Amino acid sequence: MPESTQSRSLGAYLTEDAVRSALLHVALYGFAFLMAVPYLYTISRSFQPNRLLRDPRPYWIPPLVGEPITFEHYRYLLDNTLVVQWTINTFIIAGGATILIVAIDSMIAFSLTRLDWPGQGVVMGIILASFMVPYYMNIVPLYQIVSDLGLINSYWGVIMPAAASPLGVFLLYQFFRDIPVEYEEAARLDGFSTFQVYTRIILPLAKPILSALALFMFVYNWNAFLWPLLVLSNETAYTLPIGLVNLYQGNIDTPGLHMAVAILGSLPLFVIYLIFQGQIVRAVQMQGATG
Amino acid sequence: MGISERISGGDTGTNRKTFMGLRKETIEGVLWSIPYLAVFTVFLVWPAVKGLYMSLHTYPNKFDLTETEWVGLGNYVELFQDPVFYNAMEGTLLFVAISVPALVVLGLVMALGVNRDVTGKRTLRAIYFSPYVLTVAVVALVWGQVYSQSYGLLNYYLGFVMENPPGWLTSPDLVMASLAFMTVWWLVGFNFVIFLAARQSIPERLYEAARLDGATGWRAFKDITLPQMRNSVVFVVMVQFILQFQVFAQPYIMTQGGPSDSSDTLVYYLYRSAFSQQQFGYGAAMGYVLVAILILIAIVNFKVIGDSNA
Repeated sequence: MPESTQSRSLGAYLTEDAVRSALLHVALYGFAFLMAVPYLYTISRSFQPNRLLRDPRPYWIPPLVGEPITFEHYRYLLDNTLVVQWTINTFIIAGGATILIVAIDSMIAFSLTRLDWPGQGVVMGIILASFMVPYYMNIVPLYQIVSDLGLINSYWGVIMPAAASPLGVFLLYQFFRDIPVEYEEAARLDGFSTFQVYTRIILPLAKPILSALALFMFVYNWNAFLWPLLVLSNETAYTLPIGLVNLYQGNIDTPGLHMAVAILGSLPLFVIYLIFQGQIVRAVQMQGATG
Repeated sequence: MGISERISGGDTGTNRKTFMGLRKETIEGVLWSIPYLAVFTVFLVWPAVKGLYMSLHTYPNKFDLTETEWVGLGNYVELFQDPVFYNAMEGTLLFVAISVPALVVLGLVMALGVNRDVTGKRTLRAIYFSPYVLTVAVVALVWGQVYSQSYGLLNYYLGFVMENPPGWLTSPDLVMASLAFMTVWWLVGFNFVIFLAARQSIPERLYEAARLDGATGWRAFKDITLPQMRNSVVFVVMVQFILQFQVFAQPYIMTQGGPSDSSDTLVYYLYRSAFSQQQFGYGAAMGYVLVAILILIAIVNFKVIGDSNA
């Protein structure tokens, strides 16, 4: 191939690649911007007086007349609603469920993979089969059971059913199974008890997957809607999602309030997301990889 | 083996026979499983069994659930003659038909885009995934204003290109599509990150080999990318079917099933039957029908996408 032809075609490729690359970046970042528009909209509206909010025209930048920026919605929420209490409730429920899930799921996954006992295959089979039971199918009988146990309006009434989820068992089972048996054998020869093998060998090795699972479960339980809605009928016991909706349905014509409560309701989790983005995403990707 | 020095004595005989002739390891294995199995049994297995029982009974006294009346398959028969059930089924299917394909295809397109040679992959991933960490209540509050007919963001800008933009949540023809669109915004990040991981794990040499054979672009996508990502596609389709079939919060918060019942869904109807009208047997029966439908969908899914590329 003559050199001139080659350099020309190479040049043509280069510019074509540059155009393609530019278009790709525009498309991807443009799409990211569109996805972020609801955020910008919510933030800017949460600081505007209802007078501006009822105007059909959206004010991205508040007009510099009258009183363009206000904290009244936030002040109202903090003074007149239980939003702080709801945040605390949500922390306790999501945190409690997460701790319980990580503890009992890692214990059974350890037992099913690192200990050898008759019937463990059947147990794992039943847990796997329960994946087919959609959560909502159970709500009517589950409500009766939780009610019989006297757990309505209690944190435990939300935490315990959440802890029954087989997802964590499944993920940890897959991970624990692949830990080489040599580690454990060496430890056993050194006189480790089963408890020591669990706390000093398995748990440290599983730290990345445990933290990913914990963060995912925290997010999941923080956001849970239908079940807390059923169990928590007392306003002081609400989680944020339930409180938000009640506030919304009781004040349907106060757009500023809706936006401010949306911000307050998602802020704690968004901060956690910004810090632990990697782990949360990894927990989702693990689900996909094992599916 | 530094750790061993800190351990004094200890037992190495994990297989020693102890209690009632059982191996120590068997006892330990059961003990370590009991905490989860107890929670699992009481809050997942037992309700499933109890639900079957409840679905075969009615509860004449709303305040005393120990009073039951055997009706056999009566609840199921009634359900299949209930026009509200069929309407809710229609709404659910419409929602699923719009949201699931959009969630899967868009998630895939986003993943393939970000997988290319772009700067700022982490930033893009952070933004694309972020709505997933919002609670559905926040999503509903925000989009309630985006869709609002009197001061909505969407209709203000649509007003420039069309006259009288529609009421997104007030038109019976559009309401489900609007709820589905919002749901895609909320959840597409989940599919996106799964697809991205699956795409990144395809060995690059497959594409190099294909390039030598002259297969690029669409053919490389069809012959390499899709088959290699089959497992994750099957997974995502299944998860989204199951999840979207159980749509509840969006219509509950934003439309209460309206206008004129056009956004009613199965789980919403189940919720109303059991918890507003206190028809517990009826609600439990609906739960079982829901499972039957989902299992059917799962089988069809596996048959259609599970086998086609095998």
